[in-house]
Amino acid sequence: MYWNKSYECMPREKLQELQLERLKRMVNRIYHDVPFYRNKFQEKGLLPEDVKTLEDLQNLPFTTKVDLRDNYPYGLFTVPLEQIVRIHASSGTTGKPTVVGYTRNDISMWSELMARCLVAAGAGPHSVIQNAYGYGLFTGGLGVHYGAERLGASIIPISGGNTAKQIMIMQDFGSTVLTCTPSYAIYLAEVLAESGIDPASLKIRAGIFGAEPWSENIRKDIEKKLKIKAYDIYGLSEIMGPGVAIECECQDGLHVWEDHFIPEIIDPVTLKVLPYGEQGELVITTITKEGIPILRYRTRDITTIKPEPCACGRTHLRISRLQGRSDDMLIIRGVNVFPTQIESVLLEIGEVEPHYQLVVRRDGSLDTLEIKVELSEALFSDRISNLENLEKRIRDRIQSIIGVNAKVSLVEPKSLPRSEGKSQRVVDLREI
Amino acid sequence: MIRQVSIFIENHEGRLNNVLKILAENKINIRSLNIADATDFGIVRLILQETEKGIEVLKKNDIITTVTPVLAAEISDDPGGLSTLVDALTQAKINIVYAYSFLPKKTDNAIIIIRVDDEVQQKAIDTLEKVAEINLLDRETLLLK
Repeated sequence: MYWNKSYECMPREKLQELQLERLKRMVNRIYHDVPFYRNKFQEKGLLPEDVKTLEDLQNLPFTTKVDLRDNYPYGLFTVPLEQIVRIHASSGTTGKPTVVGYTRNDISMWSELMARCLVAAGAGPHSVIQNAYGYGLFTGGLGVHYGAERLGASIIPISGGNTAKQIMIMQDFGSTVLTCTPSYAIYLAEVLAESGIDPASLKIRAGIFGAEPWSENIRKDIEKKLKIKAYDIYGLSEIMGPGVAIECECQDGLHVWEDHFIPEIIDPVTLKVLPYGEQGELVITTITKEGIPILRYRTRDITTIKPEPCACGRTHLRISRLQGRSDDMLIIRGVNVFPTQIESVLLEIGEVEPHYQLVVRRDGSLDTLEIKVELSEALFSDRISNLENLEKRIRDRIQSIIGVNAKVSLVEPKSLPRSEGKSQRVVDLREI
Repeated sequence: MIRQVSIFIENHEGRLNNVLKILAENKINIRSLNIADATDFGIVRLILQETEKGIEVLKKNDIITTVTPVLAAEISDDPGGLSTLVDALTQAKINIVYAYSFLPKKTDNAIIIIRVDDEVQQKAIDTLEKVAEINLLDRETLLLK
């Protein structure tokens, strides 16, 4: 089943023609409308006319999260704010979020691609989609929502959390598709089991899970426990939001919607483009976006491009399941966490360069974050309650800035491992 | 006023021993020890025979220490002795943050170390000095006991 067969199954030659035409138009626009890109082109001695083939994309400059931050909030928008109909944001590497704006056409394109994703995962107009992604600045909730409406399915905008209510609605409303993070899906399955509810008695048949890394083992676990088919979805707000790529019924790699995005894989060290099949960092160029077109965005996600034709009939390239990150960003319960964010909170409280370590564990099905902080003499008090208050202040500040509930542990000075003078900041003990 | 050495340690095996060994190696005698523990960490409170030297060697070993002023009150080691002390502070509406016993070698009386909030310290001293049954000790007298 397809949502838009002529595009989803377009012969590759024709698809590439379309990509080149759209890429040229996009490059022209950003060169003329965004000083940031014009400067980058001029530094490299490039003009928009230098893009003659799709291979020429390799010569163009990258865009990074830092560039988005430096141009906070609207610096990379190509249209005036009056043409922007929605603004989303995701957590950035410092306290400031990364801001993206969508024109009416962008929202329409996103809805179209998300509808394709839902159909690829087996949904249709008769589906009842229980959308447990968070609604808000995070793109997950609204992204799925608009796609489901475009498809004509019945969307239940329950948002994240409140597990008892999720289960009640699942039972009473007859939800057939569940959308949430994989870790929440496992948690739901566990609560169902504890409540003695047989998943086979529910109408749920498929789940579309993303916003955090997961593995084939977790898929098997979810499929067995919830008695559904579990599909991997990929997206990021800088590019669009959920729906950049999706698994089809073959569940063997995620199709990237190439009529709107051009994926490349680069070596994160040499920044050279790698041939198909080799593992590296995923780089994405948006070729149709209006609000904030992005040239060669370094996603920091590690994957491979699978060029082989897919049995489902879609001609769009697939990427394999994400293998990790090329930076130290952590994804904890769907929230992006950068060690630098934690550092600035600690700096604010302690007023000295803190030594800390982030320890991530998977406790049952939920990710937990522990922040170990070396206590300094200035913050020491001989009263237990003062030190417990200090832990609480750090915890509360991190909750309000990053949105993650962390355990804070004070440790002795010089007790955290250091390599080349800097602490080893992150210990990820999750097995995914 | 007595200078108590307060030390931060993580709450797991070996950490207290580490502190005690440093003091032992430097021949610093511990006159009293009190440990307060939270889930992940503890605070060790010591009265040392040689306070300054103790702090110096602990700091040299990257151990977080601070000096906390506390009171030392000598009372009779009989039923009601401690009650007299606490009663006097309660009457004066002074909150005891924590208290523990000091083990004297040369007297049959009991010695209690008391920590009150900084702002009521002088008031606590004045209060206790008025009670006949209580003998407030200064540093030299305490360490001779």
